Order: sequence, then C-alpha cells, then structure tokens
Amino acid sequence: MDKLLALWFDSGIYQMAPGQLVMILVGLALLYLAINRGFEPLLLVPIGFGGILANIPGAGLAFSAVENAIYSADPVVLSALAEVLNLTSWETGKDIYYAYESSAAAAHVGAEQVATDNGFMNGMLYNFYTVAIASGAAPLIIFMGVGAMTDFGPLLANPKTLFLGAAAQFGIFATVLGAVGLTALGVMDFSLADAAAIGIIGGADGPTAIYVASILAPDLLGAIAVAAYSYMALVPMIQPPIMRALTTEKERRIEMVQLRPVSKAEKICFPLVLLILVALFLPSAAPLLGMFCLGNLMRECGVVDRLSDTTQNALINITTIFLGLSVGSKLSADKFLDVNTLGILLLGVVAFGIGTACGVLMAKLMNRYSSTPINPLIGSAGVSAVPMAARVSNKVGLEANPHNFLLMHAMGPNVAGVIGSAVAAGVMISLVGG
Amino acid sequence: MQQGVELMLYGMGTVFTFLALLIVATTCMSIVVRRFVKPEPLPAKLVHRQPVDENDEQLVAIIGAAIHKYRSRNK
Repeated sequence: MDKLLALWFDSGIYQMAPGQLVMILVGLALLYLAINRGFEPLLLVPIGFGGILANIPGAGLAFSAVENAIYSADPVVLSALAEVLNLTSWETGKDIYYAYESSAAAAHVGAEQVATDNGFMNGMLYNFYTVAIASGAAPLIIFMGVGAMTDFGPLLANPKTLFLGAAAQFGIFATVLGAVGLTALGVMDFSLADAAAIGIIGGADGPTAIYVASILAPDLLGAIAVAAYSYMALVPMIQPPIMRALTTEKERRIEMVQLRPVSKAEKICFPLVLLILVALFLPSAAPLLGMFCLGNLMRECGVVDRLSDTTQNALINITTIFLGLSVGSKLSADKFLDVNTLGILLLGVVAFGIGTACGVLMAKLMNRYSSTPINPLIGSAGVSAVPMAARVSNKVGLEANPHNFLLMHAMGPNVAGVIGSAVAAGVMISLVGG
Repeated sequence: MQQGVELMLYGMGTVFTFLALLIVATTCMSIVVRRFVKPEPLPAKLVHRQPVDENDEQLVAIIGAAIHKYRSRNK
C-alpha cells in the first residue's frame, strides 16, 4: 500500500497545479495553430511542445538544479540550502527561493553546490535555454542564416527604399511609449527595459525580438516570442486593411520603373560597407548586424558555397529546434498567466499596425518628391517579416492593377526593415540596457 | 513617461541617421564599383554552348515522342 501511495504522490495527476494544466493547454493550442492553421510551424511546433514539456509536473525540465532541489521539498536538502543562504527562520520552500533570488554571488555558488551534492541537476530545457538563448548564440546564428538567404539586389538598385525600412521602425518606438504610458496610468506594470523588449515585436523580426528580450527582459521572453511569431504569421491579415485605408485606388495602381541590374561586385561590397558603418557608429548593433553581414558575404562571394549552404539550411534548422524548445521553457504558468501577457499581445499588434502605417505614409511622401514614381504599397514591407510582407504588398498591388508586379520593388524595403530593426535593437540595448 | 519619449526621439533619430548614412555609403560604393569593375561578360558563356550535331536526331525523336504522348493524353 505504501508503494502504491508513493507512486500516486509521484504521478502527474497528483502534482498537477491548475496553472500547469492551463499552460499545457496553451502549448496544445500553439501546436494546433502551427499544424492545422500553418502559423509559422517551424517555430511554433518546437515552442508549443517545449511549453508542454516545461509544465510537466514533477519533471522540472525547465528548472535549474537549485529550483529542482527547492521544489522537491525534501526537509534535509531545504535546511542545508537555508544554512548556505544564512536563512535562520523559514517555513516553506518559497521562503528559501526568495532568499536565493536576493542573495549574493557567493551564496548562489554555495546553493548550487548543495543542490548538486544532493543529486539534483539542471532540467534539460534549462540547459538548452542557457546554451541557446541566455548566451545569445541561437538568435545570432539564425540571423547569420537570414543574412545568407537575403538578396540585397533590389535594395542596391534603389537605395532610397532604406528610408521605408527606417520609417516602419516607428512602430517599435511608439509601442515603447504605449507600454510606458500604460504603466504610468497604472493599467500594467512594465519597466522601461520591459517596454523596450515589447516594442521590438513591432520590428516583425523573430530572432531580433528574442535577442533583445533575452538581454532586457528575460522574464517576458516566452510571451514576447510567442507574440512576435504569431503576428508574423498574421501579417497577411493585419496589413492589407491598413494599406487600403491609407492609399487611394490611383496610388495603388502606380507602376514602378524596372530595377537596374546589380553587379556581383556591388553585392559583395555591400555587407562590408554595412559592417564598417556599424563598427564606426553603432557598435551595440554589431552582434546582430555582424552575423547578418557574414552570412550575406558568404552567400555573395561565391567561393564558400558549402558554408553558405550549411548556414541557410542545416545550421539554421538545427538552431531553430533548440531556439523553439528554449522559448517554450519560458512558458511557465507564473510568468505567462498574467495580465501583462495580455498587454504584450495587445501592444504587439498595435506595434505592427503603426509600423505598417508609417511605412505606407513615408512611401506616399517619397512618391510626391521623387523623380521616379513610388507605389505607396511597398512602404508596408518596411516592417521586415521577410518575405511575407513583400508578398502582401505584391498581392494588394495586383488587386488594383493586374499587370503591376511589386514583389521585387517591395523586397528592397523588406530587407531594409531587417537592417532597421537590428539598428533599433542596438539603440535599445545601448540606451536601456547599458 | 519622460524616458519613453526620450527613447523614442533618440531611437528614431539614430535609425534614420544610420540608414541615411547607409544610403550615402551604398550609393558611393555603387558608383565606385561600377566605374572600376567592368561588367561581367554574361553573353560570353552562351556562345560556347553549340548544339552537338550527333545528338540532334535523337533529340528530335525524343521531343516528337513527348509531343505525341502529350497530345494523346489531352484528347
């Protein structure tokens, strides 16, 4: 009978907290969206599954060794931990956990040693998170792959479309202002660093959002990553109404002049020019844009096809699996089931909308003063989300004029948006994080 | 709130300035590169590809068979 009881106490059903059950359902919902609706399946499948794994009661996959030791609630281990942390009176594991959070570095090392000595280990997902995201490695490797997949030809043929990529970043900063404003009104509770990390969702760039969140607001990373990738999948639904509202039928019909051919030498020089500018003016964006330039140089130089091929296929796929699982590990009930998550989801869609609108308005302005006609629809592609946003521009353009192919023209602002959001990320990190 | 406004002004300022610099640098780079690097001889590659005579009959037979099959399938 004792054995049966022990098995029962060890089972998932007995240990399941209501929050964990809800989070498992959230994980299943993400899997449904990915598999049945095709929402960014490459990321939402590992994120959703990681979220389920992280909330399996008793398994502690997303916890560090010390957290696992505390949650085991073994009185001997707990008193040993309390001793290391100089805690004289305590009642539950929670007290010890708060003491651990606020203790100095030496006590941290001691507590980790106690946990290890008692046979507790870091959970699998915790290890993935440490290696892939806490170190900053995975988003940067993915950015290198994105660089290797990007063709800067359309941008080089028409460099002024870079302004469209810049204008669309206004969504990021407007959202930061919104998040700070909501906090000032007492509706939500975000610090400036949290607000900056939430704003980056408006950059519509998954790896950039995860990179910034891991530095500025690791607690919100799960919600921010889920919001960023869900909205990227929703780009074809969010953008067209805004684009139609801000342009006239006549403007949507504008046909643009054929892009000039771009030589190979120019394409090789571009990542180097970008890298030099980053090094001179914005070193805080160097990790993101440096990896991006390396990937692009490998693609264009033509002498390392093997490396370029690995970067855009095998390496980016492997990294995506671990990135997804690590993001999933941050989908814990106490962090995700919170009114702030709703705020993040709401602010994220606002960021997307404002970014799209600013891109379109900037394109209208440029059309007025430019010597060659510019169709305002390509402005919305400035919010990165490569290549989805460019396809949306093309589709809306075709509805107004069946002979108007805007895809190549929209790819310019689209890749400019990637550079723009990486620059914005660099500014955020140096102004808020430093 | 104050901090938020500041962040927005500095942030947008930096993004625009940086991308404006990038436009200038890219345009200069393109002008320099196009002046000093001669365009790649693209058509040269095509000249080498002369159809080989001995395969011609075989090719005609294959294409003929394919057309025949296509037509009979789409009746």
